[in-house]
Amino acid sequence: MRMGAVDVMDTTDTVDAGYTGGAGTDLRRSPLAPGRFGALAQGLLPFVLALLAGAVVLAATGKDPLQIYSIVFRQAFLGTTNLADTLLFSTPLVFTGLAALVAFRAGVFNVGVEGSLYLGAFAAAWAGFTLTGLPGAALVPLCFLLAVLAGGLWAWVPALLKAHLQVDEVVTTFMLNYVAILFTSLLVNGPFLAPGTANSMSPQVAPQAQIPTFMPGSQFNWSFVLAVLLAVGVWWLLQSTVPGFAIRMVGDNARFAAASGISVKRVVVYSMLISGALGGLAGASHVLGVTGRFIDNFSPGYGFQGIAVALLAAGRPILVVPAAIFFGALTNGGGLVQLFSNVPIDLINVLQGTVMLFATARFALRFRLRRAGRRVGRGPEAVPEAAVEKGAHAEVQADAGAGAGAGAGAGAGAGAGAGRDGAAGEA
Amino acid sequence: MAYLELRGITKRFPGVLANDDVYMSVERGEVHALVGENGAGKTTLMRILYGLERPDAGEVWVGGRQASISGPADAIRLGVGMVHQHFQLVPSMSVLENVVLGAEPSRLGVVDRAAALRRVQAIAGSLNIHLPWHARVADLSLGPRQRVEILKALYREASILIFDEPTTVLTAQEVQELFMVLRRLAGEGATIILITHKLHEVMAVSERVTVMRHGRVVGVLHTAHTDPRQIARLMVGEEVRPAVRATPPRPGEEVLSAHGLRATDARGAPALRGLSLSVRRGEIVGIAGVEGNGQHELVQALAGLAPVGGPGRLAGPAAPPLSTRRRREMGLALIPGDRNAEGLSRVASVAENLASTCFYRPPLSRMGLLDLKAMAERAVQLVRRFSIAVRSIWATAGTLSGGNAQKLVVARELSNDPQVLIAAYPTRGVDVRSAELIRGRLLDMRERGRGVLLISEDLSELLSLSDRVLVLYEGRIVGEFPADRTDPHRLGELMLGEAQAEGRGLNVGA
Repeated sequence: MRMGAVDVMDTTDTVDAGYTGGAGTDLRRSPLAPGRFGALAQGLLPFVLALLAGAVVLAATGKDPLQIYSIVFRQAFLGTTNLADTLLFSTPLVFTGLAALVAFRAGVFNVGVEGSLYLGAFAAAWAGFTLTGLPGAALVPLCFLLAVLAGGLWAWVPALLKAHLQVDEVVTTFMLNYVAILFTSLLVNGPFLAPGTANSMSPQVAPQAQIPTFMPGSQFNWSFVLAVLLAVGVWWLLQSTVPGFAIRMVGDNARFAAASGISVKRVVVYSMLISGALGGLAGASHVLGVTGRFIDNFSPGYGFQGIAVALLAAGRPILVVPAAIFFGALTNGGGLVQLFSNVPIDLINVLQGTVMLFATARFALRFRLRRAGRRVGRGPEAVPEAAVEKGAHAEVQADAGAGAGAGAGAGAGAGAGAGRDGAAGEA
Repeated sequence: MAYLELRGITKRFPGVLANDDVYMSVERGEVHALVGENGAGKTTLMRILYGLERPDAGEVWVGGRQASISGPADAIRLGVGMVHQHFQLVPSMSVLENVVLGAEPSRLGVVDRAAALRRVQAIAGSLNIHLPWHARVADLSLGPRQRVEILKALYREASILIFDEPTTVLTAQEVQELFMVLRRLAGEGATIILITHKLHEVMAVSERVTVMRHGRVVGVLHTAHTDPRQIARLMVGEEVRPAVRATPPRPGEEVLSAHGLRATDARGAPALRGLSLSVRRGEIVGIAGVEGNGQHELVQALAGLAPVGGPGRLAGPAAPPLSTRRRREMGLALIPGDRNAEGLSRVASVAENLASTCFYRPPLSRMGLLDLKAMAERAVQLVRRFSIAVRSIWATAGTLSGGNAQKLVVARELSNDPQVLIAAYPTRGVDVRSAELIRGRLLDMRERGRGVLLISEDLSELLSLSDRVLVLYEGRIVGEFPADRTDPHRLGELMLGEAQAEGRGLNVGA
């Protein structure tokens, strides 16, 4: 899509306007209040449209959409345990959503969060079952630190390739996922296979390395709080720090950033390091908070779903939390639909995919709005146009990822369930 | 009654009256210029005609009948075609495919290429346009791409053609070719509206000119009975006083120099072939030349944005292998030639754009933390000092009109009191008043003993501002003139490489 002409057209004359260099004007006020409401409506639109589309499919197959949705809603949100489970399912997605988002904002399309997640998970598990002599106050931070390093270093490789040799990061990060998944698989099938188990999993981490849960009956644990704090942290990083400013400038317009004296190479490298580190944290939180050990092939595509979450959040770190909860709710609520009605779980996966589709459509809508000259003013935390466009083009992959993840979506519940059982068995 | 009439068009945007009871009429076979400063309402008016905006009041009449235009599809049906400033072509497709895209002649559901080619060639032939029909658009330069755009509109049987600043991206030669096409189109009965900033183009090609200011039509003139001065007066509402050097040159020490610079362009072809120049304190050195003779690569090399190959040597603030940031810290400033690609970020706010070169150090940040208050403070000051028309410093730079966007770039680049400024096309696509302000700032630099390297396609600008004019041709400096003793004819010949071909030697004016 060539937007250049449109942009130029509507900017020359339409908004010149309100100009009054006069002393009375407050140039510091935030631009255009009406945009806020529009932005909110646009943010909700993909969800509404997806639910409508899902309702049509349900109705067409002779089901009552309202009934199905109410099952999903009740299972996802009503009751403490249900809500806790929804937040549990959304926890890794907050981490991976933030991971994808940081790279996005620098204009780097990192689809390798999944790989960082696996290595982070293994690093945390290794520390957890090896350094069992340490007290929890030292061991838990150490596990997270190792996960950060493992995830970050993993992303460092494609970052260097992109920065110095202009190798396309989409290809390298995507392929490295397989390397990471197979490498960790090798580790837990060989040297680190838990003694006495036939399944490919590592030994259990020390009890003091496990993140405490909030309540019995759900594995919902403190790592969700960490994830939310990180969302605020990423927002603060982008908004208020020098590296964050550089990330946004490079993501918005790399040539301009370079001409301004910002080293695009450095920004690409450190945004990828941060992205990979967040991916590593996702893995660590899952191991220490849920499974208690590294299980071969444990992720149902959290890394890929993170891309979807970041896109849905439109590049805004705080919105990553509700976006992740939406996906968490679908996963949690969807599992039950199958039991209480004869609606297959696949429909829930279709619903997830539909949301992504409409999230993409929203970008198109925004372009149309702009075409009509009603440019919505945005605050300092604007979505990078480049990232959006790139995002739109990468949507296919996000969808593919979601699809791949969706295939394993049922496994998400199953995997977590198995972990739960395993933990119970050990106890 | 004229073929096209806009009657009483009024369009209000939040806080602005973009068009205020605008009347405009254009005859068949007429080239009609529409001029005005950035923000005068020209583009809004044309967007209404093309169905991209709905007017709040007013009527459009075409061929004696009132037209209802609720979208571009209606406009196209009425025969309105638009040649956009930034071309809307698919680079990976062929010229022919681009022309017929969306309206392909087909037989039994299959695109009839032969028929398409016949039709397109017939249209092109009548205008004496020749294009490589099967070449990819990506391989064409900007002039031919524009002709593809024109054919696209004509292929859809446009009889009213809107050209939005069509010469901005063209070389002087291509501008002449475009004007020929415009005249031929008019000769065949087309109705042509030409939006432009350049008064000499108005004089050269139009029959009548409509002048807009602040959303109103302030004059409709017959080109034959007016002069650029009168038009300019109507546009800005006052006499335009061109900036001129007030003091004689008294150049000091060298602040920027290059010796034997070599560089290649994006495709690897040699673009700079041993270029040497120097800029001293208190002088403006102008670079004249047809675009594409190494201007871009020269700027990139001096700013540290592209590696310099060969035995080139840079001195002054632009010595390799310094990073762009280091050069800037040493006093180099840069107004890039492509404003939207390198000069600013359209999605970042005005305040952020103004901070982009110095956000990482005090007073805008401390220990890695931004001081947003200081950033806002600085932005407000610069906005006021350079009279940048913007409602809020947190509005995105993309909402600025061309002139204001360029003032933003200039404001940022001059804000850190640079020792030497590289200004590439600093007034391109900028309204008359903003252009004067920018030229004034360049002269300020000179007065205060700073150096300026000015690259421009506007010869009168070069000659009125520069102390010396260097002629760039095929990656080399082929001539140097003191600005007050420049023979425009010889300058022109050198720019086109003719003097060389005739073996007249290099240092023409020196």
